[in-house]
Amino acid sequence: MPQKTVRVGILGVAHQHSEDYAKSVAEKVPNAKLIGVYERNESDGRQFAKRHGVAYQKNLGELLSQVDAVIIASENAFHHSLAVSAAKAGKHVLCEKPIALTLEQAKEMKREAGRSGVKFQMCYTMRYHTVVSVVKELIEDDSIGDILAFVGVNKLNADAISRRWFWDKRLSGGGAAMDHTVHLADVMRWYTGSEVRDVYCEIGKNLRPRSGVEQTFLTTVTFESGVLGHIDGSWVYPAGYPTWGDFSVEVLGSKGVLFLDAFKQNIYFTGANRPDDKLIWRNYGCDANTEMIRSFIDSIVHDKEPLASIDDGIRGLEITLASYESHAKGRVVRLAR
Amino acid sequence: MVGYGYMGGMHYDALKLIDEARVVGVWGRDPSSTKEFASKRGIKAYASLEEVLKDKEVQIVDVCTPSHTHADFSIRALDAGKHVFVEKPMALSLREADDMIDAVDRSGRKLMVAHVLRFFSDYMRMKEMVDAGAIGDITMGRAFRGGQLPPWTLSWFKDMKKSGGVVLDLSIHDIDFLIWSFNQPVTRVFAKVERLTHRDMTAHDYTLINMRFAGGGIAFVEGSFALPRQFPFTMKMELDGAKGMLQLDNQTPTPAKLFTADTSKGFAPETLHWKPTLHPLPLDPFYREIKHFVDCIVQDKRPLTDAQESRKCLEVCIAALRSAKEGAPVKLPLEAR
Repeated sequence: MPQKTVRVGILGVAHQHSEDYAKSVAEKVPNAKLIGVYERNESDGRQFAKRHGVAYQKNLGELLSQVDAVIIASENAFHHSLAVSAAKAGKHVLCEKPIALTLEQAKEMKREAGRSGVKFQMCYTMRYHTVVSVVKELIEDDSIGDILAFVGVNKLNADAISRRWFWDKRLSGGGAAMDHTVHLADVMRWYTGSEVRDVYCEIGKNLRPRSGVEQTFLTTVTFESGVLGHIDGSWVYPAGYPTWGDFSVEVLGSKGVLFLDAFKQNIYFTGANRPDDKLIWRNYGCDANTEMIRSFIDSIVHDKEPLASIDDGIRGLEITLASYESHAKGRVVRLAR
Repeated sequence: MVGYGYMGGMHYDALKLIDEARVVGVWGRDPSSTKEFASKRGIKAYASLEEVLKDKEVQIVDVCTPSHTHADFSIRALDAGKHVFVEKPMALSLREADDMIDAVDRSGRKLMVAHVLRFFSDYMRMKEMVDAGAIGDITMGRAFRGGQLPPWTLSWFKDMKKSGGVVLDLSIHDIDFLIWSFNQPVTRVFAKVERLTHRDMTAHDYTLINMRFAGGGIAFVEGSFALPRQFPFTMKMELDGAKGMLQLDNQTPTPAKLFTADTSKGFAPETLHWKPTLHPLPLDPFYREIKHFVDCIVQDKRPLTDAQESRKCLEVCIAALRSAKEGAPVKLPLEAR
């Protein structure tokens, strides 16, 4: 039986992941079709559309009328309005993280998605990364006993954050903590099945004076189960770092310990032109972006709940916002739910 | 030598290589163990600490006893006119540390705390590079130190009141190194300190510590004795600055590897046991630290980690324990309690 094809539109291309998402939809997921792109910046939108061989739509409603599902990859500040428009038009949503800038926005997105009965999945890419799933299975197979503590690192090469809006708080909602709390927080929540109870965050000074947002933070969390967690998603790796960043988690259990280093499978390339060429890592690991989109399409076709749901998006934002509050107040913040 | 345990043996081996020093004798709590240690090495066995302190031949007392006795033995030795080389932690409270500082002042003798990490080749090189401006303004630090609970662990080590647990015994190394590298006072500490896999002891086996420095930089320290038996003792340090990043990991550099039917083992020159004839330029950090102290006495110089300097990391350790107990960040300086 031929499978239903899901028509997909990209809403916003400000996030660099939009490039990979478009490629996955167009080339790698068989029952998905890339229809077009909406982007508030017309020149960016037209270039993107040309690169991917699809139509640029200046009018959001026009694109929404042509698709079944959307992928939101705009600046963080527009996730909310784009998602609400898509949900109201009855379109399934795959939304880049963080879900929104405020909890009020996120809850309205949930209401609208619920009202129209569309699927809403978060771009929590790491849940769709094969090595991350292998570790999840190892934990479920009781290979390390009960989880006691997590220490996670999801740091970025500051030079890899080339899109300027990331450094503009009005568009991003914040810097490193807004950008890179949620991936680790989500994987930890997923592994333990427990929610974060309290948060302490220390935000440090920046490496670059020009940056309008924070580059460094260290967040300590405690889960309701008593499990400890530590999150470092600082934008500190220097321009010469061999790749964009990393994602690693130590999972300490009562019977053993697991070390996950998701992007460790690399070919080392070294160029010959001094002094410009440096060591570069080219990853040969799994394609988590494609897996995430395949799963999204699958949840639409087979009417299944997405693995990374809108609630997971809201929980992540709660932890991020509590981190900022903790730093501002200089104390532990207990999450109210 | 006061104390004949694991560290006592290490210090003895290092002392033997120092031309300007000679081990006169040993005293320890158990007379038969003292005699055994002494007769194996052809040195005197003292019957009491008083006997050591009265011996005119003795110029340095090397204190390698359980941590809760460090302050008392050091102060008595200083007051008897001896120089003191004492294992870390210098004491288990700031009050005791201050008493030691007073004893140094009134005796005019020298005291050095064995913060051996400052004498490890890799950490020394890192500190040299920081001081040479390799990473510019230092912004962030990240340390890991962990392994199984040492197999030689004795009852005192498991007793929080005698060893101070993972914070005062293990993470103190990284805290000292970070303070040395940042070269700034610590202004705030937030920590989790737990017993995760050894619930049968009062000493903690796991800690997560966030530190904030006066210049606005932040650092994270993870210390763990909560790891399984197969886990190799691991040390990692990362320092981030405006101009670059430095990383070290003691599991990575293995210039020599041994494989047999039932062994797989890596070696670095710094971790080989002493073969002085083969290593005319000793790399052993224990040799280096004791040689430094002997040089300070011979040349009348200030030891790198004298009582005043060593109080700094002790204060952070005490603050970490207090933070964990109170569940809140703790501001420094602490009042001595």
